[in-house]
Amino acid sequence: MNDLRVVGQSVVRIDGLEKVTGAAKYVDDLEFGPGLLYACIVESPVAHALIKKIDTRAAEALPGVVKVVTGADFPYKFGLYMKDRYIFANERVRFVGEQVAAVIAWDAKTAARAAALVNVTYEELPAIFNPCAALEKDAPLIHPDLGKYNYVPWFFPKANTNIAHWRKTRKGDIEKGFREADLVLEDTYTVPRYAHCAIETHAIVGLYDMSGRLTLWSASQSPFTQRNVIAESLAPLGITHKDVRVVTPYIGGGFGGKAGVSMEIMGAALATVVKGHPVKMMWSRAQEFYNTYQRQGVVAKIKMGVKKNGTITALEHTLYWDAGAYVEYGANVVNAAGLSATNPYKIDNIAIDSVCIYTNLPPGGPYRGFGYSEFSFGIESHITRAATALKMDPVAFRKRNAIKEGDLLPYGAPMNANGLAEAIDKVAAEIKWGVPEPARDPTKKIGKSLVLFWKAPAMPPNAASSAFLKFNEDASLNILISGMEIGQGLLTVMAQIASEILTVPVSKIRVETPDTDRNPYEWQTVGSHVTWGCGNAVKRAALDAREQIFALVQRVYCLEKDALYLEDEQVKCRTKADFVLPLRQFVIAGIQAEDHTYKGGPIMGRGVFMPEFASAIGDPETGQGGHPNVHYTTGAAGVILEVDTQTGKMKIRKAVLAVDAGKAINPDLVRGQIIGGLMQGFATVLYEDMRFSAKGKLLNPNFSDYKIPTALDTPDEVVPIIVETPQPDGPFGARGIAEHTMIPCAALIANALEDACGARITAMPVTAEKVALRLNQCSANA
Amino acid sequence: MNTCRIETPRTCAEASALLQALPDARVLAGGTDVVVRLKDQLIWPPLVEISRLAELHGMTEVDGWLRLGALSTWTEIERAALTARHADVLVEAAREVGSPQIRNRGTLGGNVANASPAGDSLPALIVLDAELELRGTQSTRRVAVAQFCCAPGKTVLAHDELIVAIWVPVRAGWRGAFVRLGQRAALAISKVSVAVRVLRADGIVQDSRITLGAVAPTVLRVPEAEAVLRGQRLSAAVMQAAAEVVCAAARPITDIRSNEPYRRAMCGELLQRALARLAEPTNPSDPSDPSDPSDKIT
Amino acid sequence: MTKTTITLKINGATRTVDVEPSDVLIEVLRDKLGIKSPKIGCDRGDCGTCTVLLNGQTVRSCLVLAVEADGGEIVTLEGIGTDGLTPLQKAFIAHNSFQCGFCAPGVTLAATELLRKNAQPTRDEIKEAIAGNLCRCTGYTPIIDAIEDAAKPANKKTKAKK
Repeated sequence: MNDLRVVGQSVVRIDGLEKVTGAAKYVDDLEFGPGLLYACIVESPVAHALIKKIDTRAAEALPGVVKVVTGADFPYKFGLYMKDRYIFANERVRFVGEQVAAVIAWDAKTAARAAALVNVTYEELPAIFNPCAALEKDAPLIHPDLGKYNYVPWFFPKANTNIAHWRKTRKGDIEKGFREADLVLEDTYTVPRYAHCAIETHAIVGLYDMSGRLTLWSASQSPFTQRNVIAESLAPLGITHKDVRVVTPYIGGGFGGKAGVSMEIMGAALATVVKGHPVKMMWSRAQEFYNTYQRQGVVAKIKMGVKKNGTITALEHTLYWDAGAYVEYGANVVNAAGLSATNPYKIDNIAIDSVCIYTNLPPGGPYRGFGYSEFSFGIESHITRAATALKMDPVAFRKRNAIKEGDLLPYGAPMNANGLAEAIDKVAAEIKWGVPEPARDPTKKIGKSLVLFWKAPAMPPNAASSAFLKFNEDASLNILISGMEIGQGLLTVMAQIASEILTVPVSKIRVETPDTDRNPYEWQTVGSHVTWGCGNAVKRAALDAREQIFALVQRVYCLEKDALYLEDEQVKCRTKADFVLPLRQFVIAGIQAEDHTYKGGPIMGRGVFMPEFASAIGDPETGQGGHPNVHYTTGAAGVILEVDTQTGKMKIRKAVLAVDAGKAINPDLVRGQIIGGLMQGFATVLYEDMRFSAKGKLLNPNFSDYKIPTALDTPDEVVPIIVETPQPDGPFGARGIAEHTMIPCAALIANALEDACGARITAMPVTAEKVALRLNQCSANA
Repeated sequence: MNTCRIETPRTCAEASALLQALPDARVLAGGTDVVVRLKDQLIWPPLVEISRLAELHGMTEVDGWLRLGALSTWTEIERAALTARHADVLVEAAREVGSPQIRNRGTLGGNVANASPAGDSLPALIVLDAELELRGTQSTRRVAVAQFCCAPGKTVLAHDELIVAIWVPVRAGWRGAFVRLGQRAALAISKVSVAVRVLRADGIVQDSRITLGAVAPTVLRVPEAEAVLRGQRLSAAVMQAAAEVVCAAARPITDIRSNEPYRRAMCGELLQRALARLAEPTNPSDPSDPSDPSDKIT
Repeated sequence: MTKTTITLKINGATRTVDVEPSDVLIEVLRDKLGIKSPKIGCDRGDCGTCTVLLNGQTVRSCLVLAVEADGGEIVTLEGIGTDGLTPLQKAFIAHNSFQCGFCAPGVTLAATELLRKNAQPTRDEIKEAIAGNLCRCTGYTPIIDAIEDAAKPANKKTKAKK
């Protein structure tokens, strides 16, 4: 581990050249020839209604229209963790924008015009847009059939309510914890919904060929999950897994929004009705906002008990999630939060209730941070307030309670090795914690904050990764994986891992995006787990190839296998200094033996990784007993924030984030994640704000009114810090870091704002306007 | 399928005649607003594309007036020496528009014709006492920019008329500033904007113009605040007094971009900041330099 | 009139193409001329990933009707590095500036326009020049660093770590 050659180096991205030349192809860039058809959906204008009648005649009569389909054509359910959706709405619509029908036409404009001619008659039902209202006794039921749905064994839906899942975590004795406390602090924090805003919208092209082969070109983070969910859902049509092929070229950002199956299943279904013709469906920017996944909103009630000495004695954390109309993926966000909503603190007495609640808003789902960004706002705000109430330094308070290796996690398993303490110290030093900073002019004030974060990959316990590794004649390599390059640099990091073991330089390694026919299985590219999981698979594939190489050399040259090693693309031997065998001489052709025959053959490595220690099953009432999370990545972040007390405008003078990567396989890419993740996190607290009408219609589904940051909104300075406490089961000690970088941001701003001006805001976002109204007391609706 | 008819007249007269003949036609110039709106429609109206009309291009100084062709782009306004000399406040407004790509295409005439209360050109043009040259099939007329808009999106422009040019009177000694607030630094539609222009002698305000954008159905000029400044030095107390007057005069609404009380409060705050900038001594080396960019309130 | 024929000089080659009046430039470039680097991210002028150079100036090609560009000269990412990679492209690679890469074509053209007009831009001028190009991955800093680097006279590929 000490003499690593490539791992730990900031090599440039292997996809860099393609991306700066325009060679990189995304789904919409692929050509499908003159047979290509276009689909456009018919959307529900109402949030909750029964579909009484669909009249497609006018649409079908429009020249250029090939086919109009409705929910009745595909009465098949689908879903990742809970099968609560139809491909097109059947009988009932549950959010504004939901698909009720689709038109396939020879061009996109005709499809759109025809879709507008489909006449749907609705019988409106009362709708619910607030998760707390959905819990009331006489609240209308959004899924009356909830009791009949199929779901994973670690979900606990409550039939005949709007509760789709309720994750309970109990540890210690919560009442005792509060009795021991010198101070009990309670408050409620609210976090609204957010949109991923990948610059590429969702896109799918489906081709059901005359032989019954279904090929999908998909903008997806999870080609194998798409294949599985789609094959299962369309099984009544006679489609099997072998018939479905998902090809994922580069995607223009995912952030969780492309993690599951959303619009893609429509593309698959529609292809089956126009056999032989590829059919393309592109989401508009507006649809991208209201009909993929949105980050779920949450109302978090926190009650915390602390002792005078700063020890947290008890935490009651109740999270009411606005999970939207369908929770097939989003319920697992709720689950993940329910296991970890203590944040990285050792708290002996806890009661966490994470409640997944159906509402008539768009489906909630995975978004970078996967529940942790959402609960971090409340818990990290609360921690600072508790410290302040005790007149303790908030950083000292955090250090006192920070979780250490071996401490018991909320669900009872021990915490993994981590560099949290180091991260805290480094961030505190970088923002000069405790040293007041003068403002530049009298209208401005400066505040500082430091918060902690953690996150575990949220994945089924049997989420697997696999890799093939093939040598070419010149000893260059192709690595086949189905971990997805979503911008994080996975292809480069996988090349580095293989290079480290096989000594083939990264410039001679090609790693491409997946094709489920050719590349081996990967569950999904989510949860910041692929560097770890897929990296382990690639490492094993490389070791497997190396083992084949050594075995062959041993067989032909009678050298001790244990004495062999690789250096500069050559096999060498510790016991025979003059032995040098270049890989290129034999990795395809084999080695010629003394009798002129050839031994060996193409070297192909195979690697598989599954976390065999994980289990999602614990006690339903306490969560104790399982091992649902493979490990946690931890870190700390800090800001120096300048607040304009008149306009409320906030300028981040300095942002610092230290994350324990275990081992940064490519430090520059880690820093890239930190800088980018911080910006995305700051955006959710400073700028972005989803507005719904009283009838549940999203009012700002565009970048004019839902504002993501531009280059002019960057912090004055960003300092990324890498901490390395090895993850024993990670490739070269690595663990994931990508989501973590946006998790602390909301609380950072809220706490720094209070430090600067004394104003505490408990409802996100913390926009300039909200701050100014609070500071100037302009109005009661601050 | 949303195919439309598109006409590319060669002269203004031809354009006006086409507009008269096509009652539902829309004029298309830079397209930065019109095309966005057209895309929401399944069937497009006929378009009269005027971007090649030579008469609508160019900037000149004529008889004490600066004539800005209606098709002057934001980028041209931002960079021209003539605008720097005679329309400082408009240059500042131009810098705040959209993004470089929008400024390269978007035109001054188009922004005026849109008559958006949040449009960045209108507050600036009104404090410049600018006039519009409107040409129809029958006649040419001049209308003060201040009289041009009647309601959001509604103007006195007749269907057959084009905005041919924007005329800005050349006046010595006046200095202006434009400040605005959006949700983020670039590509943001104004929540509030303030344009101000002041003529001073020996530090005493002789005359001024103050307008507010995005806080009323049309851009609001606030003569009461101008009256507060008259005969005074730009002291903190005077600026504060003027700010209070504009806050009272504003008639903002709550909408998706901002709330009424914030908009109202910010009118005063922005005015004070604009005036504070004007109160500073000019930078003789670069008269067009508005300020230290780090002081921008964006 | 429904169809009209326009002529464009694209990346140095003259192309003639039939378009409908309502076709925007990006549709014609991508669907009729096979030029795929300009992307569609919002289709309403907000995101900048469709940015191309039209007669030397960057424009949103989703907001320009194809007929308006008739006779014009267009440069896309495919056309900026006719003689190998430009210093700007090299700097983007060296700085790992892009992640998903979807904004790269637009950002590159915006930065190209900047460097043609202003060979030594300040950091603020760089931010201003690319402020119309949304990037969700990078937080912009590695992009800004690369543009700054490319503008240096020696075109050093060293990184100003910030």
